[in-house]
Amino acid sequence: MSIKLEKVVETFYQNLEAGKITGRKCLKCGAVEFPPVYACNSCGCWDMEWVVISGKASMHSIVLPAALSSRPEYKDLGKYAYGEVELEEGARFNAVVRGISRKNRPALLEKLPIPCRAAIYQRDGYKTVVFDLDEEE
Amino acid sequence: MNQTTIHPYQRSVSIIGVGCTPFMYTVDNPETDGLTEGELFGYAALKAMEDASVSPRDVDFYFHGEASPLNGSNYLTPNIQIGNWFGMKGKGSIHHSEACCTGYLAIEQAVNAVASGKYNCVLTGCVEFGDSVPAPFGPNDTVETPKHPYKRVKMTMERFLATTMWLYDRNYARSMIAPMNLIYDDVAEDYVRTRGITAQQMDDTLNWMAINNRRNAARNPLAIERREFKDIAKEKGFDDVMDYMRSPYNPKMGDFLRMEGVERKCDGAAAAIVCATEMIPEIVKNLKHKPIQVLGIGSAACEATTPHFEIRATEEAVRQVYALTGVKPEELDLFFANDFIITSHLYAAEIAGYLPYGEGWKYICEGRTAFDGDKPINTNGGRTSFGHAHAASGLADVYEACLQMRGACGERQVKRLPRTTMLRGYGGSQNVAAIILRTLE
Repeated sequence: MSIKLEKVVETFYQNLEAGKITGRKCLKCGAVEFPPVYACNSCGCWDMEWVVISGKASMHSIVLPAALSSRPEYKDLGKYAYGEVELEEGARFNAVVRGISRKNRPALLEKLPIPCRAAIYQRDGYKTVVFDLDEEE
Repeated sequence: MNQTTIHPYQRSVSIIGVGCTPFMYTVDNPETDGLTEGELFGYAALKAMEDASVSPRDVDFYFHGEASPLNGSNYLTPNIQIGNWFGMKGKGSIHHSEACCTGYLAIEQAVNAVASGKYNCVLTGCVEFGDSVPAPFGPNDTVETPKHPYKRVKMTMERFLATTMWLYDRNYARSMIAPMNLIYDDVAEDYVRTRGITAQQMDDTLNWMAINNRRNAARNPLAIERREFKDIAKEKGFDDVMDYMRSPYNPKMGDFLRMEGVERKCDGAAAAIVCATEMIPEIVKNLKHKPIQVLGIGSAACEATTPHFEIRATEEAVRQVYALTGVKPEELDLFFANDFIITSHLYAAEIAGYLPYGEGWKYICEGRTAFDGDKPINTNGGRTSFGHAHAASGLADVYEACLQMRGACGERQVKRLPRTTMLRGYGGSQNVAAIILRTLE
């Protein structure tokens, strides 16, 4: 397959508007790139296909927002933390996970990695991806 | 993560001269208010040439680094705008910009140019106005519209924080929120979790890093903050400096990070002359000190959606340079880490093996990493006390390393003359370099 000049970013955000969270899967090694990019960072192959991610994920670290790391517009997130998130499909990245506060952090730290689930979140003019603690797990 | 094997230089390259301005808040002082890019860069460049006993005619090419030239200087091609200031008019140059890693990659660029054989002797310099912007620059003004030929105004923290967003990928990192906000505390969180120390022990470690940095800066005439915390604590009514460091005078700014663990953004410039080692006798007639060879430079880059981006990139850069040079961690006599978030200097020193895994925090809390300890780190005072003129800071570390390796640092000279030094550069969400220098005998 040849390299295509294509709008990966726009497609990702359009998919979010349609209610789908998508990544790109390597046709050679099967690794999933999230957020989606042209080539696989695991094996270097650029033959990729779009996949809808399941949304199942786990959180591996917890950092709470503070003066330097919060902004007024983040208030709509409610209680949240930052950390390393791993999708069921394998991709790892930094993300927001809602439902974490100073109060429940000590108990959550004991259980790392903790299950969480992807959600589509409306920001000012576009949608993005955040995660919620998976209470059912 | 991807790995790279780096190979030996085509010929040996050495640093033969260094120069550095004081790091300063230029607009706060009538004596420095009005200084320009050409004056700061030119001073550092000519001081480096003087130190190397070369003239501008001996220098073939110059590299110019600035982290934020449009915001800080209203320039798109900053290397050209200062090209007449140090006697090298007409010689080739290039500008590069890797945010807070610029000054370390300035050495990388210069060494590569000489090692390839294209040039024998080059200048590499960096300048930054991190604390001021061209005037007029009010809240309703833009970066495109300064009118006055040299006057500048203070850059507000609000303005600075707004421009730091430029460090992050607009497509994903900014929209996902977490990538650009993890820079402050990710390393501290990781250290606590993986080394099994308490949050209180991490807090003490962060405070001791600030205290140690300030002890070093107190003995450095180029540093921006020179008053030791023990003296500040006494003035504020604290008998114990740690009580002061844990007080509201040093408030929490992050999940772990306190105010004194954050950079002092400021203005400054630094430069170095880099020469083919084999050409030194021909180019330099009267070198007054030993050349300092660049043994190797490891490089890695992880953008900010990557989990633990600073840690992963540092591990790779350090792995590369050890694999290339064969140098062992126990051979390092001195260590520098760009610590605009002060946690960096603990974590980078452990990755390099300069401090033992999981034990580095104890060395710091015992004062062993200050200039008079057995494992000195950031003897110039680091970003929290020497100051952080973003692009220039890396070369300011190179300046300090070279002076320490010559035994020329006066009252902050480390106990044992360093022969081998590692510098861990970091910045720009995130470029990382691991540089090993060794004195040529």
